[in-house]
Amino acid sequence: RQHLVATGQTGEVTRATAEEVHQRLLWLKRKKDEESKGEVLDLDSRLKLNKE
Amino acid sequence: QDWDEEDDVLDIDEIDDRDGIDPEAEYAAWKLRELKRIKREREQIETYEAERAEIERRKNLTDAERE
Amino acid sequence: MAHHKADASKLLDDRGYGGRLIRGQNPALLFETGVRNRITQSYYWKEQCFGLNEATLCDRAAQIKFIGGTTGVNGKPTPFLCLAFKLIQLVPDKSVIFEYLNFEDDGEESDNEGDKAERNGEGEGDEDGDNGIMNGGRVQDPEAAGKRGAFKYLRALAAFYIRLAWEPVEIYNTLEPLLSDYRKLKRKTKEGYAMTYMDQFVDDLLTKERVCATSLWRMPPRSQLEDLDLLDVRESPLQGEVDAMDEDNGEEVEVVESESD
Repeated sequence: RQHLVATGQTGEVTRATAEEVHQRLLWLKRKKDEESKGEVLDLDSRLKLNKE
Repeated sequence: QDWDEEDDVLDIDEIDDRDGIDPEAEYAAWKLRELKRIKREREQIETYEAERAEIERRKNLTDAERE
Repeated sequence: MAHHKADASKLLDDRGYGGRLIRGQNPALLFETGVRNRITQSYYWKEQCFGLNEATLCDRAAQIKFIGGTTGVNGKPTPFLCLAFKLIQLVPDKSVIFEYLNFEDDGEESDNEGDKAERNGEGEGDEDGDNGIMNGGRVQDPEAAGKRGAFKYLRALAAFYIRLAWEPVEIYNTLEPLLSDYRKLKRKTKEGYAMTYMDQFVDDLLTKERVCATSLWRMPPRSQLEDLDLLDVRESPLQGEVDAMDEDNGEEVEVVESESD
């Protein structure tokens, strides 16, 4: 128990509201969609390259 | 210390958790699971009701004996 | 209280705990001592969970690739379990948990509750078989299509938390709708990985005693709460079909026992 106290810094973290959580998830979803779109484009261009 | 996920990487792709690849089959599999749950719930209700009926019967018995 | 401690020292120290309670108890006690220790000693907990709040926790949850409890000889906790413990530490407001559970991208055309009734409609074809995933597929169920709870592992995490932290009536009312979310979930087991489904996982939460290395506290059975008029009888989305089958057969539905869970 002592070592936990020792390793744990005692910083305080501010709570987030439901709205902040929503905005965060929107951002994460956009990011994820972008990434998967990127993968598809990547695959398409590679397939094209293979055909040529 | 080890990165917690390190040794997972090898076999994590054994299972494909992507959805919507075969929507009909995915729906059919769910339907089967849901039907099983409905069946299980019905059986539980039956058992529960049988138990209550039995309790009721015993209660009546002791009442009758008392009189 | 708008703040909580960034680490778990206070949480684990009964003498000094002054945070939010769950059913009158220090929430850390919902996890067994051994599991708790393995979580707080894990690299993932120390490096990835430190200082998270309700919003930044989403960054981690969006990266989760499987559910599970502890694995391997050392009983190493999964990131899923570590984040569940983080939630236990945060005890987020209910509105936050609902956001995790039912997050919808308002930018996309959204289905409302009314569409749920149509989910049984048969023969909804998948015209985009080859790139179905990219377009979200054409699945019959808006729950399953990922319109609600777009991050499925976050949704599973919220469900797990709800089962641990909320009251019975809320648990049934909030979790049962997820029984029609049939998206796939990867689950880490002792041996390796296994497939489960959101509905299966939620059913486990409602009926099993132990899930993800955690003993679930005993909750009153549904029937008891129905008798007390605290809950309405659950209506399965398949109820109509089942009733029709009953009429046809004049007897119980035969459910084929196949597919090992």
